[in-house]
Amino acid sequence: MTAGAIAWRSVGTPRAAAVVRPHAADPDAPLRRRGAIQIVDAVKYYGVGESRVLAVDHCSLDISAGEVFVVVGPSGCGKTTLLNALAGFHPLDAGSIHLDGELLCGPGREKAPIGSDRIVVFQNGALFPWKTVLENVAFGPAMRGAIPRDELLERARRRLAEAGLQGYEQSYPGETSSGVKRRVEIVRALMNDPAVLLLDEPFRALDALTKAMMHEALIASYLRNGSTVFFITHDIEEAVFLGSRVAIMTSRPCRPKTILSVDIRYPRSRETVTSKRFRELVAEATTAVHEEALNAYALGEKEG
Amino acid sequence: MVNLAVARAAEPRARPPSTIAILRLARPQRRALVSYFAALLVWQLGSTSGRWLGFELPLLGRVPAPSDVLLAWSHLILDPGYWQSWIASWKRVAVGFSAAVLTGVPLGLIMALNRPIWDVVFPVFELLRPIPPLAWVPVAIIFWPTQELSIDAVIFIGAFYTLVLNAVSGARSVDPRLIEVARSMGASKRNILTRLVLPGVLPSVLVGMEVSIGITWEVVVAAEMISGGGSSRAASSGGGLGFFIWNSYVGGSYPQIIVGMISIGIAGYLSSAALRAVAARLSRWNAPHGGRT
Amino acid sequence: MPQRPAHVQAIRVGLANVRGLSDLRSEALDAVLLAAEEGETDDGQLVYGETEPVTHLYVVQNGRIRLERVGSSAEPVRVGPGQTFGRHVLAGVRGERATSEGPSSLVRIPEAALLEALAGKPGRPQSLQAPIGGPAPAVEGATRRARAAAQGLLRSLGGNALQCLRSPAPYRRLLGYALFFGSWYLAVEAWALPHFNRLPGITEVVHEWLSKDPTFGLSIYTPEYYAHIGSSLRRVGIAFLLATAAGVPIGLGLGASTTFREYVFPVFELLRPVPIPAWIPLAILVFSGAEAPIVFLTLLASFFATALNTFLGVRSIDSKYVLAARCLGATPWQVFRHVIVPGSLPFVLTGLQISMGVAWFSIAAAEMCSGQFGLGYVINTSYTMVKFPTIVIGMLTLGVLGFLTSAIVRLLGERLVVWRARELSMERP
Repeated sequence: MTAGAIAWRSVGTPRAAAVVRPHAADPDAPLRRRGAIQIVDAVKYYGVGESRVLAVDHCSLDISAGEVFVVVGPSGCGKTTLLNALAGFHPLDAGSIHLDGELLCGPGREKAPIGSDRIVVFQNGALFPWKTVLENVAFGPAMRGAIPRDELLERARRRLAEAGLQGYEQSYPGETSSGVKRRVEIVRALMNDPAVLLLDEPFRALDALTKAMMHEALIASYLRNGSTVFFITHDIEEAVFLGSRVAIMTSRPCRPKTILSVDIRYPRSRETVTSKRFRELVAEATTAVHEEALNAYALGEKEG
Repeated sequence: MVNLAVARAAEPRARPPSTIAILRLARPQRRALVSYFAALLVWQLGSTSGRWLGFELPLLGRVPAPSDVLLAWSHLILDPGYWQSWIASWKRVAVGFSAAVLTGVPLGLIMALNRPIWDVVFPVFELLRPIPPLAWVPVAIIFWPTQELSIDAVIFIGAFYTLVLNAVSGARSVDPRLIEVARSMGASKRNILTRLVLPGVLPSVLVGMEVSIGITWEVVVAAEMISGGGSSRAASSGGGLGFFIWNSYVGGSYPQIIVGMISIGIAGYLSSAALRAVAARLSRWNAPHGGRT
Repeated sequence: MPQRPAHVQAIRVGLANVRGLSDLRSEALDAVLLAAEEGETDDGQLVYGETEPVTHLYVVQNGRIRLERVGSSAEPVRVGPGQTFGRHVLAGVRGERATSEGPSSLVRIPEAALLEALAGKPGRPQSLQAPIGGPAPAVEGATRRARAAAQGLLRSLGGNALQCLRSPAPYRRLLGYALFFGSWYLAVEAWALPHFNRLPGITEVVHEWLSKDPTFGLSIYTPEYYAHIGSSLRRVGIAFLLATAAGVPIGLGLGASTTFREYVFPVFELLRPVPIPAWIPLAILVFSGAEAPIVFLTLLASFFATALNTFLGVRSIDSKYVLAARCLGATPWQVFRHVIVPGSLPFVLTGLQISMGVAWFSIAAAEMCSGQFGLGYVINTSYTMVKFPTIVIGMLTLGVLGFLTSAIVRLLGERLVVWRARELSMERP
């Protein structure tokens, strides 16, 4: 390896295992071993018979290992359908999904198995309210029984501290703010070292300030961990700020319309938002999304 | 463009057409029928175990068999006394329950909206509530001039507490900010009450009515049993379903006990179904005004 | 001063030793450190080329960097750990090429930060990169809020007696009791209103209840009183425990397994509308002895309440928790154990409270119709034997026992679902 730019990061940011980004921000870096997703001709209907609706229509996406892939589209366009199929929550009607070359679902395999290699962070959060923050974070490895309990709790404590969440270990999720909850949930997911992290509009309900903090926290944990991130949102700035690539989807049926490469290096900070390149990319994405919103509106007019 | 092959593949697999009607039912209904049938079979075989096993199975062996119950019922269908029992129980439920609704709901609203009244009434309310309604039967018989009235009174007590508490929680569930807004926009007290508070209270009151009508049936049966069926003419017929059961037991016609139990079950089910239907209607009509948050 | 990781501290020391930076004030050095970036290079990797403008000052941490001036015959210069390169950054000169010889690690400082530091200005705002070190400001806010809420809760639990006495509520409560007992006294004894005069009066009841030699044979000094209480309590206790032992697993099964629900629930729903008192004759017929029918009737009522509420509790669990647990690698049994059971617990405990209530309801009915002991029996026989004050003693005792047992169940429940209690305490303004 002689060519390629140096991966610069803020001093004090722990070095991610092979911080190599196989995407726009770092085009020549080598591939990570885990977390490449191929979605091939995915089709999904909702409902049965005459009244059924085509939610996803021959959607194909090729996501490299270790990238932050953000999907933007008008609400109800079928983004979540894709995520659910990836997570194994429901089957596709046609097409297939592969993870690192292995068939997740498709011909011969109706539903992807649900497992800790792909972990979902839900829209409204799914921390178990009956377990403390520490127990929540330790949940995945504890269920698999891989690590002795003391060591596991110690590791969970360390992960919480790394994310700036020390002092919350013994709180119940119900006692913490929504921002803390969301961060704990991301820590809980990353404790399992998943190949893919699936986030379904996780910051939707947060206020602007907390949201900005979440973005930096997510990027920090992404740089530490390096899982592939599949992120759904309809907030364009959020998409460009987080994503290495941003896919703008067509309104129903859902299919990628444009895929933008975000050539801004990680770690991105609040300063990124004011940079010229960032504004350009946001403008580009906004135009594409706006077209789709108009299409969706026209469609609604016709139907309704 | 929709791919036809894909579209077809996506159709749910149709069940092969069957000539046997039961197989065409959806799975839950099929399973329900299976389990009803199994329960009936176990009951029948268990009850008649004395005849075909030579000895009675414990417990189940002493229960009258369903075939005997059916036989007893077929005789009773033509007996006007049986139907008078129905009418007598319904009448008591109707009187006691309406009295409880007419007093309990307003009391609940007043208690919820007026702090001093709440402070005065609620502790006494909580003092009396843990006393089981049936414990009031002797006192009611002593106090009221007729047994009919005393049974009505006990039914009233049974339904009353639940109705009051549900009216209170309904009134409390109305968002105070909504009332504040209405007031600032110049709504009259009367308007606030009829357009904000009452629609907000209604769902909770309806739930309270459904729960308390169930309690009402529990109470009417027990009250009829304990008080010996009300007035003197009860001995022959008009004592209500609770008395009908007790009388069947005392008279040794055991299959009739089960007929009575099923009859009360049906009566209770019908009354709550009727209330549910009314509730569904009212809340649909109400939905746009709903003051609940 | 935030605690820095060791290697960051090392970098800081390194920076402080760099010529030109050594005379910086500590804060300025911190600002430089905040703006600094670190990175690793492989053998032969280009740090910057001769055509690029140099934008950073570089400090070598480990390894060696070769610096060549293009178009110059001078020997390439090599810099090692602790040394800097790219020093012409401020001069805007280009034409130098920096290449890594073997893997090395570098720290670089942007031009702007360097300028600011040298000009003695503070660096950029600290908060931007803060999350790694201490808790961020919003987090501190949340902690403060949590602490304040906990203190508020403690204060309300501890009971500010003085404030309590200032509010009108306790006086109104006394007024309520006074009105109730007063009208009982006036209507029955003082004025002896028609109908009311047949009822036992309050003084009569209290006198009987507290008498060492009660007229009708039952007071707090007679052992029979406690025998009746004990017998009712024992029946309720046995029935409640059996109903819980059966109702909770069956409710969980109804909620968690579709097959079980589809087979069992229809029969369950068929039996439920039959009022408990309607079972009394059948129970007497089927069970031998005086005790078993009463326990059975009480159990039946409690069982339905417990099973139904447990079932509703399982149904109330948001499916996202089940999905999340499975995502995290939980097996179906673990989902049941860690999601279904704790998630339905608040409903189960509500069910147990209702179960305790209906147990007392049923036992009153059952003991009044059959049985030779217990408070229901006391009430009924006192009526038939015209011992009217004893009826009221029985009623009030039933009320007190019902209240106490429900309170015990509630308190135990609050112990079990600490998370729910703490959550609710946060919601309170």
